Amino acid sequence: MAVAQPTVGAAPRKRPSRWQTMWKSISIVFESRVATIGMAMVLFWVLLAFISLFWTPYPPNATDFVQNLPPNATNWLGTDHLGRDLLSRLMQGTQVILLKTRLPFANISFPIGVAIWGVIGSVIVGAILGLNAGYRGGWWDQITMQILDALIAFPVIVLYLVVIAALGQGDLVVILAITITGAPGVARLVRSLALDIKTRDYIRAAETRGENVWYIMFVEILPNARGPLLVDSMLRVGYAIFAIGTLGFLGIGLPPPDPDWGNMVNEARKSIFANQTAVIWPSVAIASLVIGLNLFADGLREELTRYQK
Amino acid sequence: MLVKDCMTRHPIMIAPETPATEAQKIMGENKVRHLPVVGDGKRLMGLITRQRLDLKPDTLASLDVWEISRYLADLSVKQLMVKAENVHTIEPDRTIERAARMMADHKIGGLPVIDDDVVVGVLSEVDLLRSFQEMLGLPAEGVRVTIRMSDVRQPNQPSEFSKLMAVVAEQGWGVMGVGTFPSPRKPGYYDAVLKIPNATLAEVKDALSKIPGQEIVDAREVA
Amino acid sequence: MAETRSPDNKSPVLKLDNVAVAYKVRGGEIEAVQNVSFEIARGEAHAIVGESGCGKSTVAWAILNFLGANGYVKRGSIKFLGQELVGKSGEELRRLRGDQIGMVYQDPMQALNPSMRIGEQMKEVLTVHRGMSDDEAADRCIQMLERVYMPDAANVMKRFPHQISGGQQQRVVIGMALLNNPALLVMDEPTTALDVTVEAAVLDLIAELRRDFDTAIMYITHNLGVVARVSTRVGVMYAGEMVERGAVEDIFDSPQHPYTQGLIRCVPKLGADKASSLLYPIRGRVPPPNNRPSGCVFSPRCDYVEDRCRDERPQLREMPNRTWVRCHFAEDIDPAKWTPAEDITVPEIADGDGKKDIILQLDGLRKYYEVQGSSLKDVFGMGEPRYVKAVEGASFNVPRGSTLGIVGESGCGKSTLIKTIIGLESSTEGKAEFMGFDITTNLDDRNEKLIQELQMVFQNPDSTMNPSYTVFQQIARPMRRFSTVPREQVRSEVLKLLEAVRLGENYLERLPRQLSGGEKQRVGIARAFASRPDLVLADEPVSALDVSVQAAVLNLLLDVQREYGTTMLFIAHDLSVVRFFSDYVAVMYLGQIMEIGPAEAIYAPPYHPYTEALLSAVPIPDPNVKQKHIRLEGAVPSAISPPEGCRFNTRCPRRELLPDPDICLTTPPWRETDDGHRIFCHHTLETLSSFEPVIETQSKKESQYAS
Repeated sequence: MAVAQPTVGAAPRKRPSRWQTMWKSISIVFESRVATIGMAMVLFWVLLAFISLFWTPYPPNATDFVQNLPPNATNWLGTDHLGRDLLSRLMQGTQVILLKTRLPFANISFPIGVAIWGVIGSVIVGAILGLNAGYRGGWWDQITMQILDALIAFPVIVLYLVVIAALGQGDLVVILAITITGAPGVARLVRSLALDIKTRDYIRAAETRGENVWYIMFVEILPNARGPLLVDSMLRVGYAIFAIGTLGFLGIGLPPPDPDWGNMVNEARKSIFANQTAVIWPSVAIASLVIGLNLFADGLREELTRYQK
Repeated sequence: MLVKDCMTRHPIMIAPETPATEAQKIMGENKVRHLPVVGDGKRLMGLITRQRLDLKPDTLASLDVWEISRYLADLSVKQLMVKAENVHTIEPDRTIERAARMMADHKIGGLPVIDDDVVVGVLSEVDLLRSFQEMLGLPAEGVRVTIRMSDVRQPNQPSEFSKLMAVVAEQGWGVMGVGTFPSPRKPGYYDAVLKIPNATLAEVKDALSKIPGQEIVDAREVA
Repeated sequence: MAETRSPDNKSPVLKLDNVAVAYKVRGGEIEAVQNVSFEIARGEAHAIVGESGCGKSTVAWAILNFLGANGYVKRGSIKFLGQELVGKSGEELRRLRGDQIGMVYQDPMQALNPSMRIGEQMKEVLTVHRGMSDDEAADRCIQMLERVYMPDAANVMKRFPHQISGGQQQRVVIGMALLNNPALLVMDEPTTALDVTVEAAVLDLIAELRRDFDTAIMYITHNLGVVARVSTRVGVMYAGEMVERGAVEDIFDSPQHPYTQGLIRCVPKLGADKASSLLYPIRGRVPPPNNRPSGCVFSPRCDYVEDRCRDERPQLREMPNRTWVRCHFAEDIDPAKWTPAEDITVPEIADGDGKKDIILQLDGLRKYYEVQGSSLKDVFGMGEPRYVKAVEGASFNVPRGSTLGIVGESGCGKSTLIKTIIGLESSTEGKAEFMGFDITTNLDDRNEKLIQELQMVFQNPDSTMNPSYTVFQQIARPMRRFSTVPREQVRSEVLKLLEAVRLGENYLERLPRQLSGGEKQRVGIARAFASRPDLVLADEPVSALDVSVQAAVLNLLLDVQREYGTTMLFIAHDLSVVRFFSDYVAVMYLGQIMEIGPAEAIYAPPYHPYTEALLSAVPIPDPNVKQKHIRLEGAVPSAISPPEGCRFNTRCPRRELLPDPDICLTTPPWRETDDGHRIFCHHTLETLSSFEPVIETQSKKESQYAS
């Protein structure tokens, strides 16, 4: 049995270092088998994406090989209808989604992939709208939510098509499309969190200090909505990847010649009689990344709420 | 004094599936000799007594060693109890005298008290004894006097008992316990036992011996 | 509550012997409860008293097999009606217990199904267990409802739980629990959530039912007053152990264990004067279950601690007066000679001195909320507007530096009044002035300087702090916002404030989840005083805290107030809490102030009849006190259509004493005495002064705890 507690104001033990606190937060993940598996899957692809920046087995756009080969010793996943190595194309396909976004006019890309930027965008826009609707209530709430509900009513793909048709193809356009389609969902989530949090006494305390509305929304309320918002964002990255894949499949996704998984599936579909296996690899890639994100988010949510009252 | 005032409420009860060995343990630890066996909703299904738990030798004689222990282990209260229809019971609103009568007549030591098929208590001999000794004023200090008087009432005369009470009232005494019994060994007479507090033996003897037709059979001071 | 039963040696209904309950947690096991032994005989009410975390609810759950997947009884035996409960499977337990144990919770809605009518739920108890016919079950239920004094029982059977009040819901739950005539009734804080007057009536009911049904009752509570009123025996628990056990009179007359003595000292009392109403807190805090001290579990906080206490764990031993105590030195401790330790500071009682200027003035303040009707006409805005008349005509003046305590039960409008003053709501009518500023508008229209001078301390410690920011950030914010100190000095100011609320420097970087309830509330107080306001409004700041922590925080609040010379408005639902440090007290009922005046004047006649009823309902932690037994009939009327005139007239027990009772339907006059005591009643001051005092102590032990 441990030593008695001293009186009021017991000093905490030596403050843990930065790494220790970070490790402690991360180790929550390991408590859940589900989250661990998810994280493993996601990390696998991220790792692959980084590697592909520096090395792929063969140049992805080189049409050096015999067309439509099944998996063999030189081409581990086979080749596509133009004789390009599938594995290399698969690896490079991760880049655009996860790692870099290309600007239309110049030939530069800036870091962080399209999917992630899109989700960041929808979180920012959605949070602003949701906080306003939830905290201010009244007409703000009514008008915002009616508009957003109308947006939600559209099937996501239709919205994407509208945006792309209006603005043309390109990475930035896809980011915008993801933002527009994702914002309503985030806004709804943030609104319900804000509705709950605004009943707390510390919000009353802030009001009695005469803080202005934006302060209360962004400094007092938003940080406490972190948890569910984080989990939701991770799921959204999965949806975004899925959407990009669909767009690619429809042929209006990210422009060529850089490989895009959705595009790869589409092309492989066309030559499915010649090469049955080519369809599988990009599909599995999309599926596994999305499932991995889902599992990770789910497991994390379970762990975070497990010991709460 | 009714059964419901005297009985033990919330008695210890067991389910029919309870093994006999456990019933025995419960009786021993809690010092009870009667265990109502109840089903759902405290409905009376039977009664287990010490006696019923004693196994008859002839039942066992035919079994060999292994079978005996198996038999004992499997034995449940259900097989040993007195079935509900054969159990003597009483309702809570009855008098304790009736309960006493039942117990004396059937030579039983405990009566389950039933209200509409549901066991609400158990009345045991000990409960009754405790009640009766309160009736005779045992806990109180004072003089215990037994007066014998005739059973026959004279016409146009106050009854014997009221004559006695008149004397008590005159003296201003209280009465902490009263009981009447037919005189033992003297038919036609009955004995009234009174417990009178705050009076001396001499005073009581003096006052009560003077009643015509009544004699003091026993008088003593009880602390 | 003394009752003599002829001693019988029947075995007890419930007997716990050295029970220990453990929970499996991440990385091991925690023993929540250790060495608990007690027994309850038929017809006895045994109270288990303790503060939060002492394990009293865990004991109840262990008996009922509600410990959940990770709890189990590690040691000891629990015998119910002679049969052992520990070690039996769920099915066996269900058979053994059957309908023999009833449970009543703090929140009646945990037992009542909100989607079923009350009659259906009650009948279910009988038809399922006893196979009764529907009609017969209905009859019995109505009988039981009448037994629990439910007005209009037959009608209540047809209603849904949300259609009756909290006190009535609790009566229904108690009735349901007793329908099958259980041998044991476990009640876990059944009246804590109820108003004082409702609580008093429910406690009376419980006492009566216990006598009639001869049920053994296990009563769990943290309120010593309730214990004195309702139980015959008491077990005091601390940090998972039972430290004292005995008959209720013995425990209150001569408590042996230092913890019990400390508890009794820090319970607010309705003493005749301020000096005897002082609260002395217990220093230190309750140890967490995984870090208990070796030796006596109370030793870190005990005033009489010796070396032996730290080394050796004491056993429960029997004292000459038949109480059992877990202390090595129980015989040597004499509570009458106790003096407060040096590090406990108790505020000095200041005498009211000369006139000070009035800082807050209210005149006929009204706050009505508009209610959206539900008929079709209302939806189109064409119906008559209806209002919840939350505050009606509040008028009083508060001098600078003094404390006004506002007392009333739920729905009396005290919270609304406070919110209107501070600006979270705007008032509907009337005048209100604070230091010359008009405060009838809400925060949006108020001057910054005004906002700075009016701050608030909130009730619920768990929601008063923002979970994402440290203590330092939250106290510093008001300072930065109002620029009360230059930037460089903010940190030292925060430290000064922390010191004023008795928290050390190591609290600066802590997050709210690392603080206990009492600590969070202290930080809340520090935050409220950070901008040096002239008026602080405290909305029931201690009602969510444990008794021993309450005493500390109340003393603290008083100290800080004195130091900064702040005026304070303090809301409480309990007259005893405001007793010792309010200069003035106001009693509110259904939006009206019924009585207001200097504190001593309120607790002695003349009283307003409502104040009298409140005083007679408060459970007093002293079985020797004689308390009048005035109970209010009926429920609080709705604030949407309150009674005319004096809003208390529908329930006033003194109404019939008036020559013309109908006069109560008109607005009463204010009856004033010389010392500023005002009563809102049609009775004359002479009549009101002629009522006997509600509380009379029977001398002998009264001064035992006065300093």
